[in-house]
Amino acid sequence: MTPRLPTHTEPDRLKATISQVRHFNGLQPEVQDAIAAAAAPRHFATGQVIYLEGEPAEFVYILERGWVKATRMSRDGREQAMLFLRPVEIFGDIAVFTGTTYPGTTTALEAVDTWVVPSATLMTLVKQHPELALAVIRKLGERVLHYIELVEDLSLRSVEARLANTLLQHAEETDGRLVVPRRAWTTFDEMAVRLGTVRDVLSRALKTLEAEGLLKVDKQGIVLCDTKGLAERGIL
Amino acid sequence: MTHEPQHPPTDKNLHKAILTLFAGDRRTASASLRVGVLNGIVHLAGVVTSPEAHIAAAELAGSVPGVRGVVNRIEAPGAPRPARTVNLDLHDR
Repeated sequence: MTPRLPTHTEPDRLKATISQVRHFNGLQPEVQDAIAAAAAPRHFATGQVIYLEGEPAEFVYILERGWVKATRMSRDGREQAMLFLRPVEIFGDIAVFTGTTYPGTTTALEAVDTWVVPSATLMTLVKQHPELALAVIRKLGERVLHYIELVEDLSLRSVEARLANTLLQHAEETDGRLVVPRRAWTTFDEMAVRLGTVRDVLSRALKTLEAEGLLKVDKQGIVLCDTKGLAERGIL
Repeated sequence: MTHEPQHPPTDKNLHKAILTLFAGDRRTASASLRVGVLNGIVHLAGVVTSPEAHIAAAELAGSVPGVRGVVNRIEAPGAPRPARTVNLDLHDR
């Protein structure tokens, strides 16, 4: 899919988006301008594949709107979620800087707007601007920490503990309550992929935590009733 | 006489072989299909207009020696969502 050219109203929107990317918001205006000059908009409908694992890494993506899921098929043929991304965020960068193909498949969970920067252009900019190189290092360092946590989660923690941690990370305050909101894509299957388990096990884990009075499932989503208790459950 | 050990084809070579097959088959030649290969598992995306083309693309990819499995994410009318697990080692059976 070829990115289309930006319209005359889009450069300001693009610059505003770049300035919201963590670690990139401190870049000098001329560096942000250089990234903006190379970027083109690309829209994805719900469920559409953004890139495939093992596909040549031609672009880095800046996520402006909508949620994105990154998964990877293990060597034994099971799908595992690696990341759930919300705006504003950069993705597709690991493959570009390691010179490999994309390590995972990303899919739009809802209508998604991105800006794509050609990999070769980003590499050139990194060589020209040391502060951009530092921002990229910080970004990649954060990703490494995320994957260390994921490995720890999958190898050492029970499904109940993983569920408790995930809920605590994604809760939002609504009407004085902490709620993990129900979204169109937060199906049991998606949650199971995220936690590295299957639907039945996830269902049992939810019921266990609900029976312990730690959460309650209602129309709005999952209400966290006892965050201290959930945090303790998250260690086990 | 000594025999060289048989190495499995690289993901890069599999990728190239699949694109060549797609370009040479009338059911897939005109479709804009995307292919990724990682650890011998093929991942397909893109859009086709018929269920037949959807199935044909997966069959063509799976027929390449060295392909261990195919995850078919190609959009087509009535196409199912890909399963969360993939049948591996297609050529061992």
